[in-house]
Formats: sequence, C-alpha cells, structure tokens
Amino acid sequence: MTITKQAIAGTLESSDLLVKVAPGNEGKLDIVIHSEVIKQFGKQIRRVVTETLAKLGISEGTVVVEDKGALDYAIRARVQAAVLRGSGPDDLNWEQL
Amino acid sequence: MAEFEFYAVRPEDSPREMQEVNNLLADRQLEVDTRVEVFVLCRAGERLIACGGLDQNVIKCVAIAQDFSGESLSLRLGSEIIALASQRGRFHLFLYSAPHNRDLLRGWGFYPLVEVPGLVVLMENSPIALQAYCESLRLRREAGRRIGSVVLNANPFTLGHHFLVKHAAAECDWLHVFVVKEDASEFSYADRFALVAQGVTGIDRLTVHQGSDYIISRATFPSYFLKERKVVDHGWAGIDLLLFREYIAPALGITHRYVGTEPLDVVTNMYNTDMKYWLHDAPSGAAAIAVVEVPRVSINGDPISASAVRTLLAKGDLAEIKKLVPEITLRFLEKKYAGARPVGAGVS
Repeated sequence: MTITKQAIAGTLESSDLLVKVAPGNEGKLDIVIHSEVIKQFGKQIRRVVTETLAKLGISEGTVVVEDKGALDYAIRARVQAAVLRGSGPDDLNWEQL
Repeated sequence: MAEFEFYAVRPEDSPREMQEVNNLLADRQLEVDTRVEVFVLCRAGERLIACGGLDQNVIKCVAIAQDFSGESLSLRLGSEIIALASQRGRFHLFLYSAPHNRDLLRGWGFYPLVEVPGLVVLMENSPIALQAYCESLRLRREAGRRIGSVVLNANPFTLGHHFLVKHAAAECDWLHVFVVKEDASEFSYADRFALVAQGVTGIDRLTVHQGSDYIISRATFPSYFLKERKVVDHGWAGIDLLLFREYIAPALGITHRYVGTEPLDVVTNMYNTDMKYWLHDAPSGAAAIAVVEVPRVSINGDPISASAVRTLLAKGDLAEIKKLVPEITLRFLEKKYAGARPVGAGVS
C-alpha cells in the first residue's frame, strides 16, 4: 500500500490519538511521535506504529502521531484508518490487517 | 457532566451567532477576523463557550470562555477544527494565537514557528515540515561572502523588478530570488513564476526559487493580500520576516535582502520599514540581515510598479504598458488578452 494523499484519523482527546499521514519522497519513511507519556511508553508506541505500518506495506511517507495516552489497539486502529484514507481503498486487503 | 455541542457555521449564514462570537472573542481580548470562512462553535446549553475559525489552511480566532478554560474542552475544540479542515481538504495547517495560549495549543499537535512577543505566535501542525523545507533549500546553497535575496510577487513582472534583480545580483556573490506562491493575485502563480524565470535570464549568479507557505503566504502574512483594501497589520509583518530571518536565510546563507523603495503603496512601504526592524534590529537568535533599499526606476517621472501595469491593463492600454514591462511580459499580456482588448498600434 502506498500513501498517495494527506489524511488524518483520530482525535486529540484523552486516551485517543491523532494520526496524520502524507506522501513521502525518495523512499523515506518518517515517523514522528509526540506523546504525553513518551518517557514511559515511547518505545512501545513506536513499536505498535511501526508494526502496523509494516503490515500495511507502507515503506514511504510521513506519519505524525499526537498521542494522548492511547492503548495499543487504539493506536493500531487510528494508524490503519489514516493510512487507508491516505492511500485510496482500491488495493485494500483486509487479510493483512 | 456538561453536555457540549459542536457545530460549524459560515459567518455569512448567521449574523446573530457572529455577534456572540464577537463577544466571546472580545472577552478574551481578541478580534474577529473577516477572512475566516467557517467557525466551529461550541455550546453548553444555550451558551456559546468556545469558538475557532478557519481561513483556508489557517486557524485563528480561537477562544474559550474563562470559566470553561480547561484542557479537555480545548482538545475537543481542536479535534473538531482539525476534522473540519480535513473535510475541506486542508491537512497542512497553521495557527495564529496569542502567545499565552502557546502551551495549550501545543496539545493540538501544533508547533511554534515564530513569535512577535506580546502579540502573536504562528504555529504549524507538523514538527518537521519547515525543517524539511529548509533542508531542500540547503541543497541549493551557493558559496560567497555576500549572499543576496529578493522576494517578488511580480504581479506581473516589470522593468522595475528586472532592475532590482540585476542591481542586487551585481552587488552579490549570489542572489536568491523567491516568487510569492499564494494564488491571491491578478496573475496566477504559474504565470508569475514563468515570467520571472524567463525575465531574469542573462543575469548571472542567481537562483529563482519556487515560493512556499513560509514566504509571504496567507499563513505568514495574511494582510499582504488585502492591500487593495488598505488594511495594515503592522506588527504581524514580523511573523513573515522572522521566519525569513530565523529559518530561510540561515538555510541559504543569506546576508542581504534587497527591496525596491516604495513611494506609492502605503502597505508595501510600511513593510519595508518593518523589514529593517525585524530582519536587522529586532532581538533574535538568528544573525541580522542587512536590508538594502534600491531606488525604484521611473519612466517620465512615474515610478514603475506592477499596480500601474494592472491599472493600464484594465484600460486596455498596452501601448503604455510597453514602457513599463520587459518584452517577455508584454508578449504574455498580448497573448493573454488577445482579442479581448485593443492592442497598441504596430504590434503584430
């Protein structure tokens, strides 16, 4: 899957997160994570984001996460939703998710 | 727990609610901005307790009633505005706020870019976009001790612009020319850029750059594009100029900025004055940039300006325009307005 346009998913409310995706250039995948709990859970959040992107086959683009203390399943869902919105649904394989 | 209702409203659709917005903003020492296209409003019961406006990709007029000012309502308001912007196809967002709200709005995922102390802070919803832009500029750095810069709207490109660029290039080891990108002018960005790029061929040691959201754009300098209406937001020019001084100039090693003297246009003349202050005199972590004012070229005692060209164009007076613009611009205007307007005698 390829991110072809800008998209967002999620909210800024407590226990949620806002995910912004944008097309990348030159094969670079930039992941920027900001979280109120970055010290305690930064690594964990990054792992979930990276794994979710990998499952979707995303290797290029910009992904910005504004986390408000979300749990893993919320992170996964928001990242998936943002990527799907940003890539167009044509080649969607639900099995991968 | 209080029930909050959020909804969007366009100012022209509800003068009554705009009066409430005015009052809410006034309570928070803010003014309504007429360029806002749509507001997100929040009510607790009947009472308006929060609002935020969207002007294309710029969020402004954000206010929350004093007795509701807590983080959770702010974050819901932010979520609503960001969602509304995305529905309107706007993802790369800027935000203007009073400096004391900076930390609250960091919670919206906006990052401070520059601040005019005590007045306003400009924020952006990406921690990396400006950095990425500066990196792309850095690739086009040129060696030299005196590195000049010119920012042109070129609406359209005149002999005055040509003279300014030529003069600046002659004084510098290298000259960086930026064309204002915002499509808010008579001539499209594509046309203006093409005229500048072709118009400066033959002048050595210069680069013509695409404009960006960070140089005289709706985001960095809202009032610039309203100058026909004589609106002057004096202090706000500092935002655009500090961005230039603190990010763009260091990326390219720019030491000087060239600008034409401005005897005709009040707003632009004020901008020149502001330029000397913000680029050179104002306290800043970035090095000072020298501002060089180049006297404007005159024809028959009248300074050449793009607005004079536009006035003549409205009258269809291409013969007179011919004295003010280079060949390339004249040909463009003839082609664009061919058939629609009388063309000067002898022009084939």
